[in-house]
Amino acid sequence: MKTNLTISNITKIYPGCIANKNISLEFESGKIYALLGENGAGKSTLVKILSGVIMPDEGQIFLNNKTLKLNSPVDAKKNNIGMVFQHFNLFETLSVFENLIIDSNETRDNLRKKIISIMEKYNFSIDLDIPVLNLSAGQKQKVEIIRCLIRGPEVLIMDEPTSVLTEQETIELFSSLKQFSEEGILIIYITHKLKEVMSLCDEVAVMRKGELVSISKIVDEKIETLANKMVGQNLKTIKKKKLSTTSSDQLIKITNLNFKSEDPFETNLEEINFTVSRGECLGIAGISGNGQSELFQVLSGEIISDKKSIEFNKNFIGDQNPQQRREYLMAFSPEDRLEQAAVPQMKIFENVALNNFKSSNFFKNGLINESKIKQHAKKIISDFNVNTDNIELKSQFLSGGNLQKLIIGRELITSPDLLICFNPTWGLDVGAINYIHETLIKINQQNKSIILISTDTDELLKLSDKISVIYKGKLSKKMNADEVTSEKLGILMGGGEFD
Amino acid sequence: MENLIKIIKRDQPSRTIFFLTPVLAIFLTLVAGGLIFYILGFEPFEALKFFFIVPIADMYGFSELLLKATPLCLIAIGLSFCFKSNNWNIGAEGQLTFGAIVSGGVALLFYNQEGFYILPIVILAGAIGGMLYASIPAILKTYFNTNEILVSLMLVYVSKLILDYLVVGPWSNPEGFNFPETRQFSDSARLPLLAEGLRIHAGIFLALAAVVISWFIFYKTYLGFQMKVSGFSLKTAKYAGYKGKKMIILVFLISGACAGLAGVGEITGPIGQLHREVSPDYGFTAIIVAFLGRLNPVGIIFASLIVAITYLGAETAQIFMQIPKYTGQVFQGMILFFLLASDYLLFFKIKFIGSKK
Repeated sequence: MKTNLTISNITKIYPGCIANKNISLEFESGKIYALLGENGAGKSTLVKILSGVIMPDEGQIFLNNKTLKLNSPVDAKKNNIGMVFQHFNLFETLSVFENLIIDSNETRDNLRKKIISIMEKYNFSIDLDIPVLNLSAGQKQKVEIIRCLIRGPEVLIMDEPTSVLTEQETIELFSSLKQFSEEGILIIYITHKLKEVMSLCDEVAVMRKGELVSISKIVDEKIETLANKMVGQNLKTIKKKKLSTTSSDQLIKITNLNFKSEDPFETNLEEINFTVSRGECLGIAGISGNGQSELFQVLSGEIISDKKSIEFNKNFIGDQNPQQRREYLMAFSPEDRLEQAAVPQMKIFENVALNNFKSSNFFKNGLINESKIKQHAKKIISDFNVNTDNIELKSQFLSGGNLQKLIIGRELITSPDLLICFNPTWGLDVGAINYIHETLIKINQQNKSIILISTDTDELLKLSDKISVIYKGKLSKKMNADEVTSEKLGILMGGGEFD
Repeated sequence: MENLIKIIKRDQPSRTIFFLTPVLAIFLTLVAGGLIFYILGFEPFEALKFFFIVPIADMYGFSELLLKATPLCLIAIGLSFCFKSNNWNIGAEGQLTFGAIVSGGVALLFYNQEGFYILPIVILAGAIGGMLYASIPAILKTYFNTNEILVSLMLVYVSKLILDYLVVGPWSNPEGFNFPETRQFSDSARLPLLAEGLRIHAGIFLALAAVVISWFIFYKTYLGFQMKVSGFSLKTAKYAGYKGKKMIILVFLISGACAGLAGVGEITGPIGQLHREVSPDYGFTAIIVAFLGRLNPVGIIFASLIVAITYLGAETAQIFMQIPKYTGQVFQGMILFFLLASDYLLFFKIKFIGSKK
């Protein structure tokens, strides 16, 4: 008997954003389905609804023509919907077997037999009695898959499963998934990687900004057409007035910059090379998790690199910390407003003192120069339209937009030559987004430079003069923003290549 | 029927509750303590009176309270430097012991000499000893990524064994009939007493100075600002470009110095020599004091007085009620337990609602 999963008119609205708008899809066992989309397209929301983590505002789910009510992940499990998340939910210090028995009611002996037979069937070889921490990422994922298989699932949902896998592990995973599919398990594969969709899946549903864009058979698609659908052709946003500077006045030059991380969930940076001229805005596009955060930290000095790898204003500063880099007139606006760029529990004026450097005189002889800081804070608030007049207020009481204005203001009021910002408008309302965009355009016009790392393609196309794409820690060549098509961008972001 | 009580997350931690929870914790400790006494067959109010009121009812008792509160306050002030900046120094007891060993060693060098210069040298030696000992977990943490909780805690036992070895072996009093203790220090190596007939000594001024200085550092200096930021978010501290390693080592050194000074206060104050037990776990109890005082210098003064009562109360209770003096530790444990539990109220509020059927 074939498994049939139908979702009809699913809508989920979060304050200020529609995550899923009237999504209807039909799945049938025997095929592998891809759910494709950029960050924020609404894939994760849909998956969370299917696995019972969140509940939709409207719409229904049917499994084999019966209405399914998923109030919690337990309900999903009971109804034979298995889910493998991108980040593993395993106890590192427990053995593989102990991890598997935790949420099972079967006796140890039965379960062990069952696991062994599953492993034989699918050619998995994992030692059941060693701690999970000794496993590779691919093996950990297999443990997660086995955990689903024990329950004899009808539906298996895989959320970006290859992001932590090696090339070889990916091939193994794909052959297992094909085997599951042949055996009648319905597989829904969530990804933003175009190549994988092409090589693994039978049908593909593309989502963009909460809406379902298309449903089609893979045989009818090419990487280019999918890229177009994923990124969207809606590029008629007003681009900024370009400066006709053919300025060769180079401000920052990155040469052979590498970063190798010990954390498997971080991305290594490989051979990064680029330059930015005065007055230029370089946009760095990419699906999140491809090394953006690492690149930001290397550029800001939170991660120190080789001295010669970064040349700023004719100084080699690769080995300098953020404070020292600010002295050379660099400024940084990190992605995470609440946990990095600002301290919500501290007062507004105290947050202003966070980008202290030697010549800012916020601290003199080791003492806090409170009057200086307060005066500075007041200026930022009025110059950058932060909607409050109380600098003694804790910054947690500012809205996201006002906090971001405060942060950008704090970074810009020193008139830096280069501002490096990472997703500066993430999660903001339209008014605040426009304000930030205008501000960034303005400083470009003052011949100051910007490196804009962003996962929002519209934003990049609106603000950038040049665009590079980062994929798996590698940066593509710089392209002129007006020559970039959504197709090109989509292919590069999905790991493809073109001439 | 479900959900008689609903727990709701607060939008932001309440400021009032922040200072009220220590009071609530103390109240709950008294209730639970009374209950324990009742179960043991004592009249609860009578027992609590013996524990908390009788010991400080007279001048001598009150001076003893200050005597016990002095090291607690001093160590807790030092620890708050660490705790405020996200460094978990659990080994103040070891730093106290090692400070006592170094200063005691110096004091023994001068055992048959008199002179105004001896005491300052002895005090300085104690501070340096504490700093040296605290620098071990700090350096291991910054350069070898070890966990400071484990290292600092285990070093406590190392220091106690070193002390044991010294007072039994090389430093034991040649005229001491093999008792595990050193010679008595000369009078010049002793902290002056504040009043005739009482044991309270000049160490209390060290503690008060620490309170004032730490208040100044916490709220008025760049170091204090950096500690505050690091305490809230290490990511922000990194982004701001603070020299994280330097700060970690600095706060451990300050903390070690305070613990070392507390050790000096003990051996050059009431004890006057080194022996096996220079501290009734002041270093551990001070952790409770630091948190009960909300890592605030003024709060720590009050907290150290309150916790000091449990030491005195335990002794009184042992004498008058034949209860083991370890009851004091039970009370200390309960205070911490209830404090941590009531801290839950900082982030959540409890709402009672009617039962749904």
